[in-house]
Amino acid sequence: MAGRSSGSKAPEVLSKIRGIVRSLVVDLCNKRLPSVVLDRYRRIAWIHPVIGTYFSWKEAISFYKESHAQRLDIMLRVLRIIQQLLQENRHGSKRDIYYMHPSVFLEQKVVDQAIKDICILLQCSRHNLNVVPVGKGLLMGWVRFTDGDRRFDCIRSPNTAYPVPVHVEDVEDLFSVAQYVLVVEKETVFQRLANDKFCEKNQCVVITGRGYPDVSTRRFLKRLVENLCLPVYCLVDCDPYGLDILMTYRFGSMQMAFDASLMCVPEVRWLGVFPSDHEKYSLPDRCLLPLSPEDRMKAGAMLQRCYLQKKAPDWRLELEKMLQDGVKCEIEALSVASFSFLSEEYIPGKIQGGVHI
Amino acid sequence: MEETDLCGSSIFRCDQRLCSADVLPSSEVRARMEVSVLNFLEFLTSPSPAVPHLSLIKRRLDNTGLRQGLVNDVSSIFLSHSFCKRSLMRTKEAKAFIRVWKAMELCFQVLERGKQVTQRELFYRLLCESPDYFTSQAQVNMAVQDLVALLHCTRQSLGIMASSRGAISGRLKLLDPETGVIDCSVLGSAGYAISGDLNLLQKLIFHSDARYIIVLEKDAIFQRLVEDQIFNQIPSILITAKGYPDMATRFLLHRLSREFSGLPILALVDWNPAGVAILCTYKFGSASMGWRPCDVRWLGLRSEDLPSLPVSAMNDLTARDLQISRSLMSSRMLPGPHRAELEMMAAMGKRVEMEALYYRGFGFLGKYVAQKIVRVLHASRVRVLASESVSTP
Repeated sequence: MAGRSSGSKAPEVLSKIRGIVRSLVVDLCNKRLPSVVLDRYRRIAWIHPVIGTYFSWKEAISFYKESHAQRLDIMLRVLRIIQQLLQENRHGSKRDIYYMHPSVFLEQKVVDQAIKDICILLQCSRHNLNVVPVGKGLLMGWVRFTDGDRRFDCIRSPNTAYPVPVHVEDVEDLFSVAQYVLVVEKETVFQRLANDKFCEKNQCVVITGRGYPDVSTRRFLKRLVENLCLPVYCLVDCDPYGLDILMTYRFGSMQMAFDASLMCVPEVRWLGVFPSDHEKYSLPDRCLLPLSPEDRMKAGAMLQRCYLQKKAPDWRLELEKMLQDGVKCEIEALSVASFSFLSEEYIPGKIQGGVHI
Repeated sequence: MEETDLCGSSIFRCDQRLCSADVLPSSEVRARMEVSVLNFLEFLTSPSPAVPHLSLIKRRLDNTGLRQGLVNDVSSIFLSHSFCKRSLMRTKEAKAFIRVWKAMELCFQVLERGKQVTQRELFYRLLCESPDYFTSQAQVNMAVQDLVALLHCTRQSLGIMASSRGAISGRLKLLDPETGVIDCSVLGSAGYAISGDLNLLQKLIFHSDARYIIVLEKDAIFQRLVEDQIFNQIPSILITAKGYPDMATRFLLHRLSREFSGLPILALVDWNPAGVAILCTYKFGSASMGWRPCDVRWLGLRSEDLPSLPVSAMNDLTARDLQISRSLMSSRMLPGPHRAELEMMAAMGKRVEMEALYYRGFGFLGKYVAQKIVRVLHASRVRVLASESVSTP
């Protein structure tokens, strides 16, 4: 049994669950059909909750409709499992929950929808329900913290990779002498920095989400920024996917709009790679790979995002330039001149020169 | 097999029968590169000059054999002494021939500077320096594979960084000469991240009071067992490669099995052909780098567990599953019990994941592991005790 606390919210969530179930029972006793009311967000006219207003309406799920009856049944089952998790101080992923009653749930997305509904109903985040995904982020550098009853001292060995803690609410005693946080998109770049002993020469913390960052990585980053008030620089490939990852760190993902305010890190700055870098650093033209049709489609879809114009017009301009030039540039292309160019000149040069947007 | 082929391979190895990739220091690898260049020049400047072909070990299944351990029950596959040739004289292979030398040149420079590179960085370098020969990542990968086969060393010895997704947890203390002692039982649900650097893994010193080593296919199961702290109830070391095992995880497992030779190694994989393939990789090694086998026993899921699982937890086999199953069954090295399980999967057309055990609650996984260990390892002892209790009135 895991001997860790799930944060101070567990008793609150449990009492809310009891409250909901009690109201359903009261309905039944008074011979009323039980129902549950949820706030719904309309995605089309959705503007980021942190920036502006959102268009919402209330949806009532009750036993009046047969399809609703099934949804209510599934929601109650998932609620029962979540209650168990909270009471036993355990954590499970969405997949684990599906496997508890596969004959009833029939599909994973049914469980995912129920969990989203429950989050809205209880007005809390998924991790408050002890529903956590498997973590995949890595970090290294000048930071020290306690995770539950374990002490992580990354300062003693700044070039060793540590997994990002999954239960971010249990992280305490966060201490660091770093000057900034560097977020890298890919694990291979993280390895390159570790191999070049980047953290020994530069006082910083390096984090990677190994692609699209998961919830724990984003939350941990937010925690670092809030507690330590450090600037955050992000190093991604100069292609639509890299920019999408950058935007996920900064604005949150489109899928989890409700949680976005808890996980977005507005302080993220784009350090590189810019489309203009290949001229500035005289990279051979052969290093630029052409954009594929999927890349173009993705870039086009990203340009439609409403928050881009309002909150990050510089990024929008660079994305348009990328689409216009029709080429993309990966971080590894910077190593063509010299293998240690990235860690010895590019990154420190850009940070000291303040060349980031 | 001709004598010339044997002589060709004996430039580097004394034992021609056993070909495995070695973890070598940079100076040794550079020396081997220099020897191969000198050999090439010797052919060119000989009285009857010729361009020699490259003898690369055939890294295919038809060149593998199964060797039974003499003292223990560990079988391992090995690459035999059959070679394929890359020749400059054949138009289709000419570029591939040159690519190997170009890759060798770059790796030599990398090793000289004491650096390490990723394959992607290699690609960009070669793309810029030799655009006529390298146009895609796949060509770079193939050239590196050929180089590994030519020099009989691991990719990492050439200076190419390897990543590892593996993690380890449980009753194990690792002593790293540089960072100190790491106690894997108090590291949290993610465990200790296994480094991709084989040299680092080579230097680790182990201390353990575990009685079993449990290999997990999936990260989710690993994290569940670590969170439940199963290693406190069943003294064990938990290790996972989060899918298909990478070299570093296998290397570490092999070292652990050598260090603690009395510890049985038990594997928990999904009941599907991919799970069986992962099991076989741990057990025998891999055809493209045949080495470091471990005596891994299949703990679960097995077909005997199926009757107690809900039918809805079973999914259909996909086309890819059937492909993997066919290729596994075509190998004569597949052990009988594995073959029987694969045949049952194909007959039922179903596969089951380990999470199906959650239908009895999250805590059931730990109980399942305990029950299986008793059944698999201590069955004979239980039978003896049972027969004794029956015989006494």
